[in-house]
Amino acid sequence: MKNKHIIEILENSPLPALSDSDLATITSHAKECESCERAYQAARLSAIILSERVSVPVEPSPFFQTRVLAAWREKQSIENVPAWSRLWKSTRALVSSMALTTAALGVLSFFAPGVPSAGEDTASAYSAEAVLMDQQSDDQMSYEQVLSTIYNDENDDDVR
Amino acid sequence: MANRFFRQRALVEEAAQEVFLKAFTQLDSYEGRGSMEGWLTRIATNTCLNMVRSAKRRPELAVADLTDDENHWLDTNAGHTGDEPQSVEDKVVASDLADRLLGTLPAEDQVALLMIDGENASVKEVAEATGWSESKVKVRAFRARRKLRETMEKLLGSKAGRREGKLA
Repeated sequence: MKNKHIIEILENSPLPALSDSDLATITSHAKECESCERAYQAARLSAIILSERVSVPVEPSPFFQTRVLAAWREKQSIENVPAWSRLWKSTRALVSSMALTTAALGVLSFFAPGVPSAGEDTASAYSAEAVLMDQQSDDQMSYEQVLSTIYNDENDDDVR
Repeated sequence: MANRFFRQRALVEEAAQEVFLKAFTQLDSYEGRGSMEGWLTRIATNTCLNMVRSAKRRPELAVADLTDDENHWLDTNAGHTGDEPQSVEDKVVASDLADRLLGTLPAEDQVALLMIDGENASVKEVAEATGWSESKVKVRAFRARRKLRETMEKLLGSKAGRREGKLA
């Protein structure tokens, strides 16, 4: 219980802020109690390194003021640019590449030679009657082939 | 203010620059109710706290992690009972050691400990600077003090163990 009490004193406030009576209690107890002696030593060294830690001043470099002012001007110049301009700057590369790709695809769709689909070639080999009547044929046609054959025949009839 | 939290000049200047820029941009939000100094201190504390948070935390510290100078400093100072004045070199080594030990603590605990134990700030002053409640400041400082003492005790214990091992 007494041991716990000493540690509580050490933890409740900084060591340099302890009263003389608290310090006397700690030192007298620490002489008799090994674990409290260790705790006191650790607290004492911790207090020393903390006080040294904040006592070492860091002088700013002579260019610090210039750097801060430059950063401030840069920040202001960014804020003064309109929002659409900032958006354009950030997405310029993406938009340009998308426009180029679209243009390239457009050019290719006009000038590349057309490749006839497989259905167009084979459809003419069948007549509508043959398709409808010859259901048992081993020669299977695709759905597109059937449709194109029927509509081709109808168109031929209309022309006639 | 930034000097409390960081020792490397680059970090101190980075923090100070950030504080100035924030203060310039948020000047409209200053209502003039409190002191300008208090307002600036709060911005500075929160900026530094965020920077400390972003630094990598080391959960544990062992004797093997210490430099020769730090080991020597501990050996020299552990046996003494009074607070002998430190040489300039010893002050630097002690500060390095403090940085290592503080690195094992959460950012909020570091802030509370540095301000209260390092700079003798009152709980109320820390509460005003951070925007925390006074009870939170007390809890943070208490926990930090305990963790720091325990880590230091562990270091001293393992050093003593090594010495005994060598003697045996």
